[in-house]
Amino acid sequence: MTRDNSGISKTASALSFIADRFPLEKMNLEHMLAHKEVPVHKMSWGYYTGGMTMFFFMIQVITGLFLLFYYQPTVSDANLSVEYITKYVSVGGLIRNMHAWSASGMIFFAVVHLITAFAMKSFEKPRELTWIMGVLLLIITFTFGFTGYLLPWNQIAVNATKVGLQSVEDIGQYLPGMLHDVPRILRETFQGEASVGQSTLGRFYALHVVLLPLALAGLLGIHLLQVQVHGMSQGVDEKPKKQERFFPVFLFKDLTLWGVLFFILFTFSLCIPFESFLPFPLLAPYDAMGATPPGIKPEWYFFFVYYPLELLPFWVILLASGLIGAVLIFTPWIFKGSSRKTLGFIATAVSLYLLIMTLFGEQIYHLLKH
Amino acid sequence: MPALDNFFLIALPYLAVVICLVGSFYRIKTRPMTYSALSSQFLESKGLMWGSLPWHIGIITIIAAHFIAFLVPGFWQALLSNQTVLLFVEAAGLGLSLLCLFGLAALLLRRFTSEKVQSVTSQMDLVVLVVLLLQVALGAHMAASLSWGSLWCVGTTVPYLWSLLSFTPDLSLVQDLPLAAKAHIVLAWVLILLVPFSRLIHMFAVPLEYIGRPWQNVVWVSDRRKEAAPQAFVEGEARRYFVKGGLAAVFGLSLLSVGVFDKIFRFFFGPRLTAHQETELMTTRLSRLEATSSQRKLELERQENDYILVGSLAELSSEKGKYFIDYSMMPALAFKTAEGLPLLISAKCTHLGCTVGADAVDGKILCPCHISYFSIDTGMPNADSPAKTPLPHLGWVVMDTRGNQLASFSGNGAVKGTISEAQRTSARVYIAKAHQIG
Repeated sequence: MTRDNSGISKTASALSFIADRFPLEKMNLEHMLAHKEVPVHKMSWGYYTGGMTMFFFMIQVITGLFLLFYYQPTVSDANLSVEYITKYVSVGGLIRNMHAWSASGMIFFAVVHLITAFAMKSFEKPRELTWIMGVLLLIITFTFGFTGYLLPWNQIAVNATKVGLQSVEDIGQYLPGMLHDVPRILRETFQGEASVGQSTLGRFYALHVVLLPLALAGLLGIHLLQVQVHGMSQGVDEKPKKQERFFPVFLFKDLTLWGVLFFILFTFSLCIPFESFLPFPLLAPYDAMGATPPGIKPEWYFFFVYYPLELLPFWVILLASGLIGAVLIFTPWIFKGSSRKTLGFIATAVSLYLLIMTLFGEQIYHLLKH
Repeated sequence: MPALDNFFLIALPYLAVVICLVGSFYRIKTRPMTYSALSSQFLESKGLMWGSLPWHIGIITIIAAHFIAFLVPGFWQALLSNQTVLLFVEAAGLGLSLLCLFGLAALLLRRFTSEKVQSVTSQMDLVVLVVLLLQVALGAHMAASLSWGSLWCVGTTVPYLWSLLSFTPDLSLVQDLPLAAKAHIVLAWVLILLVPFSRLIHMFAVPLEYIGRPWQNVVWVSDRRKEAAPQAFVEGEARRYFVKGGLAAVFGLSLLSVGVFDKIFRFFFGPRLTAHQETELMTTRLSRLEATSSQRKLELERQENDYILVGSLAELSSEKGKYFIDYSMMPALAFKTAEGLPLLISAKCTHLGCTVGADAVDGKILCPCHISYFSIDTGMPNADSPAKTPLPHLGWVVMDTRGNQLASFSGNGAVKGTISEAQRTSARVYIAKAHQIG
């Protein structure tokens, strides 16, 4: 048994790390539900953001299950089956639209949740695991978006996927010697064949419908267990004077918010087809022989990396992504000593960047490219 | 009648605006206590709530919309070019005007029946109420029968107003509008004229400072209010309250579910298509399958064969290219040079991949997507084309009818072999797998 500086054995300190994060004495219904309290302060609204993300995920599961009944994952039938759902199946169009809008909603609130949890310093001990699970959940959510986008098998779906996978392959140019080919092999493994085709559709379908949901459910389970066991984080610097009971007060407020969100989602899905934001040629069935229509771009939630990719050299984006990824995962330790004021500043700056790049990325690109 | 039109639509506006401005200024300066609308809430409050709230909510929104259309007609028109937005705006306008009518009716009733309020009512108050009622009724009528006013105003009343503002009044813009519309316009000028003489002057006294004012806690001291104040619930009462609320929620949900279940049941029951629809669906499915299979056939052909036929040498021309698919499943064009040799060039534009057009004008082909011209001989794009890299040439092989190779070209370098005059008529052009790179 090796001993580190503080005199505790390494095994013991590893075990105490886990014991702190999974306090068994608190893992009972009484502590987790009956006596759970939620602090009331200026940033209390942040406590709802996780629930909003989960709400949209639940909508995705339900609408996805409905779509599963009629969707066909073959290159000859995929687009037609989506058309069939929209045109002939009872409330098919509505369910499909809800699935599309809810996807954007889930990703939007996942990012809001990330930023607010960061600003509220919720990742402090003992909630580091919650944070790391959360980052993994975010990656899974984006992967959901990427895999799901291919399934309608129209021009924008296939071409945007090709462009996305191409950037995986482009990493190869920076790797030395034998590693040079690895990204290309990796990309062809994702694709399943030489270019995006039936193999790609099949595996993206399997990922989107089974593998990713299982992974997300598992991680979400741990994430939620952590939240229930440790309770809501304090969120502000001074100890809040008021607390409200989780059950029933906070829960009912949470459910009311979900009701409002559902109303907004339903109204949007009923009135605004998600496809109306794209010009028609992009939504035509994929034609392997035809030319690529102009205007191919990824979904809005990738804009924050897509437009910089178009403007800056690839290695800059690669480096930045790697750094940001590392910072995200190791946040609980990097920002352990930061004040909430600093965290709030960083959070605001990040939100501003995301907002501006997502909303105005295209204009910025055109401005700088001419 | 032109004379009346001239008066009501040109003279009256200017008159009304001048009187409004001068009169209001005079009144605010000399009789500032009459600037506001002299609330009668403490005399009669219930009718006031039912009347004033819907009226103000409705009219402020409606006038704001009128104002936006006037201020930024271009933006407004662009906004309303979306059918959904137009429908929403029109529906909102009609709904709000009905809300206003309800509010005005309540206010009118109040003024006619409440003794306390009548003690502070002037003749002008009643005149204003009636004129407003007429105006809103006309507006509602227009929303219902002269539809899409939010759009047609951009071409008629908005430029008319701007023409008045710029002192170049153009009557022709509104002269031929239906009577209801013209009456609505005229009555608007009348209302503006009445502003300094009536309670309407309170429009200039908008309490903007309320927006930044700190919260003010109002404590009601009447017996009625004391009853409504929150009290501690007896536990039994609380349970009854919860049960009542729960039952109401269940009832509401079950009503909702009826519609939902109908749709969801039909979802699982499956769409029962008519025979015609089924046939159409089958045909579409078949054509999609055929497209996939024909693509596979082409791929197969390119896998199996060392040579793919492009066409006979005789059918190629230097003005009109013939489309074909090369070994990498990309579009390409086949021309004939002046010397009678084939010229094969890729047709996938090097800009964004559109298929380049087949017509060669002055030896140049055009990509229609972003207007790039490519020279057939060199493949180079014009200097002002968005495409920057040249279209590559493809290798070819010319064979006679027996399969003997007459001439070939590998893609770069020189042409090998010759084709005699006699062979030209029957020679055929092929692309060769051997010429593929990698």
